[in-house]
Amino acid sequence: MSKDSQMRAAINQKLIEMGERERLKEVLRAKLVECGWKDQLKAHCKDVIREKGLEHVTVEDLVTEVTPKGRALVPDSVKKELLQRIRAFLAQHATL
Amino acid sequence: MKMEEVSMSSLDNSKLEGLAQDILSDLVEDACLGLCFEVHRAVKQGYFFLDDTDQESMRDFEIVDQPGLDVFGQVYNQWKNKECVCPNCSRSIAASRFAPHLEKCLGMGRNSSRIANRRIVTGNNTNNKSESDQEDNDDVNDNDWSYGAEKKAKKRKSDKVPFIFIVKFKSINITHTHISVCI
Repeated sequence: MSKDSQMRAAINQKLIEMGERERLKEVLRAKLVECGWKDQLKAHCKDVIREKGLEHVTVEDLVTEVTPKGRALVPDSVKKELLQRIRAFLAQHATL
Repeated sequence: MKMEEVSMSSLDNSKLEGLAQDILSDLVEDACLGLCFEVHRAVKQGYFFLDDTDQESMRDFEIVDQPGLDVFGQVYNQWKNKECVCPNCSRSIAASRFAPHLEKCLGMGRNSSRIANRRIVTGNNTNNKSESDQEDNDDVNDNDWSYGAEKKAKKRKSDKVPFIFIVKFKSINITHTHISVCI
């Protein structure tokens, strides 16, 4: 188990070192804006904020309300494309 | 490097797949967190609800789709045959010719320095009468309001240019001879 977690840490380290994580983040952000994910979540945020009141809303509130919905709303095509890129990275660098 | 320590034998396909899923969910979570920060900042700075509009005001700005009207619901060529009155000479001029006319009428714009030069030169070398003649001449030939006179106006300009050069040339000669006399 410790070996497994060690491996995960190593690969995450590698992702950051190579700059691939930043690239993936940028791609994901662009795709999510393009497919309307961001607008949907913003609308959801509006509801949450109206409910809680403009003055009392905190980042924690937003995170707990928005994150589950955010996960669910990511389109399959975007997921698939990102996974493809991650797999390609793993295949390239885990075999070194 | 750490990567070399990790043996590939422990990385079967299912584990790799799980790893890929974890990385993806990490990334999605990052994106969510980014959005939350963005929205929270917008709320606290007070610009989050700025783009909210009610249905009524949206209806006022709806796009009109009818023949003969533009998207704002106005007749689109209502200005086609309009005439404007020149504030300087009080003539009415076709709207499309108004700007070029005003340029000349007020003596501003691209050619103004040339016109001004001409006036200074003629004013210095001859008496005031010729200057006023020049102006009168301008008014007589000012055919800006009609399309047919355009060619004529251009020709008039090109006729006058050599005249300016001659005058300038003469003035230079005069100063030269003057200097030589002084020496």
